[in-house]
Amino acid sequence: MTFLSHLINGISLGSVYAIIALGYTMVYGIAKMLNFAHGDVIMVGAYICFFAVATYGLPPIVGVLLAMVVCTALGMLIERLAYKPLRQAPSLAVLITAIGVSYFLQNGAQLLWSANNKMFPNFLNFGGKTGLSLFDGQLTISWTAIVTVVACVVIMIALTLFTGKTRIGKAMRACSEDKGAAELMGINVNTTISVTFAIGSALAAIAGVLLCSAYPILVPTTGSMPGIKAFTAAVFGGIGSIPGALLGGVLLGVIEIFAKAYISTQLSDAIVFAVLIIVLLVKPTGLLGKQIREKV
Amino acid sequence: MATMLKVDNINVYYGAIHAVKDVSFHVDEGEVVTLIGANGAGKSTILKTVSGMLRTKTGSIEFVGENISHTEAHKLVYKGLAHVPEGRRIFQQMTVLENLEMGAYIHKNPTKEELEDIFERFPRLKERRSQIAGTLSGGEQQMLAMGRALISHPKLLMLDEPSMGLAPILVEQIFDIIKELHKAGTTILLVEQNAEMALKVADRAYVLETGSVAMSGTGAELATSDAIKKAYLGG
Repeated sequence: MTFLSHLINGISLGSVYAIIALGYTMVYGIAKMLNFAHGDVIMVGAYICFFAVATYGLPPIVGVLLAMVVCTALGMLIERLAYKPLRQAPSLAVLITAIGVSYFLQNGAQLLWSANNKMFPNFLNFGGKTGLSLFDGQLTISWTAIVTVVACVVIMIALTLFTGKTRIGKAMRACSEDKGAAELMGINVNTTISVTFAIGSALAAIAGVLLCSAYPILVPTTGSMPGIKAFTAAVFGGIGSIPGALLGGVLLGVIEIFAKAYISTQLSDAIVFAVLIIVLLVKPTGLLGKQIREKV
Repeated sequence: MATMLKVDNINVYYGAIHAVKDVSFHVDEGEVVTLIGANGAGKSTILKTVSGMLRTKTGSIEFVGENISHTEAHKLVYKGLAHVPEGRRIFQQMTVLENLEMGAYIHKNPTKEELEDIFERFPRLKERRSQIAGTLSGGEQQMLAMGRALISHPKLLMLDEPSMGLAPILVEQIFDIIKELHKAGTTILLVEQNAEMALKVADRAYVLETGSVAMSGTGAELATSDAIKKAYLGG
């Protein structure tokens, strides 16, 4: 039973990583940049939801929607102000800018909301119960875990349909393959990149709320470690690939929880990264990474 | 005949390299005009400048009477300019059908008739409509690139080295298609290294040498010119 319980926790944590990893992977796919500020957008989303619900007493769903709106705007603003002027710059310049934006958001949050812990409220409390009891109470699955996994699955299906079936989704794929050729089709590449940042940031808001529902201590650096883990998950699964983000995220979450439970809490992160290194040694493009073939 | 494209005295640079020097030419409605010349003569650079991917420092580019030298590339597609770039640049990881849908991006989605039109002209594409484009042969990829451009109903079709890397039989096929398009009234600006084939299909031609127009005339005139024979047609 404890094994099952760890597995469920792992999948739930992994689902959060997967949702965050999607933001990394989509932005990387299209803008060919690593948006290291993505993790901090998660933190902003969590704060917005926290204040909306705990301070202003709004219903949780309104808090989540508000967080999504704010993060979407924030993501587009960051892209417009910090990354767009560097579109032609070397990728190192963009990377350093992204790290700068990350610190800017963390310090901004500290200034606005202080560095003190905020206890994120548990929204998912039905009839005084925070979870689903199974096998005569031997196994409890928290509502948060269930909602997280369901949210992750719904988001994956929605994104797969979006990129596979809609006009703008296909335009995104076209841009991620060849921006010049996409431009020659009449696709506005700048708008498409902006839309990608918007979607990634809205997902970051959802991830922020889910993350803090499971691990309720909210500080300005809340997003940074999960951000790095999710980036790892994106690379693990094959950066640029949407199913890869899901697979990488879930595997990473499960490995992390198992390592914590059965090996060592302190070493869990080291174990996670060791697994990443082994995977990359064997398959440098990640588990589902695309082999880039050129045909002239 | 109305002038479709008028390029007037353009100069294009890649950093410090002066790639196109004082080039002027025009394309009339319904004409096939070709730019020929050796590798590095500036042919592709000129096409990229017309389609808005590069900018000229001087002069102007007029398309159907409108100065487009500062218009963004994606907006020019809406004005009726289609550019099949060098190396085809199809979307390798998308299906043939999705590539065509991207070609019709400016019309939201391609209609059944538009798709049928393209499939009639390129039957191979119909057979392979759900195949991933990267798995097509070179000739099929060129046909897809041309179909993707034609589906937007362009006023002017610009082709950059459509014969590049293709077997002779496929080159023939591509030029047959260009002839058919010409007959159907499509205006075409063709860039080619294969001068012999290009001069056969072209109404008029411009010869480029190290970034400047060295010679111009009708396709037939240039095909019989001694200088051209010597330089490009192997004696």
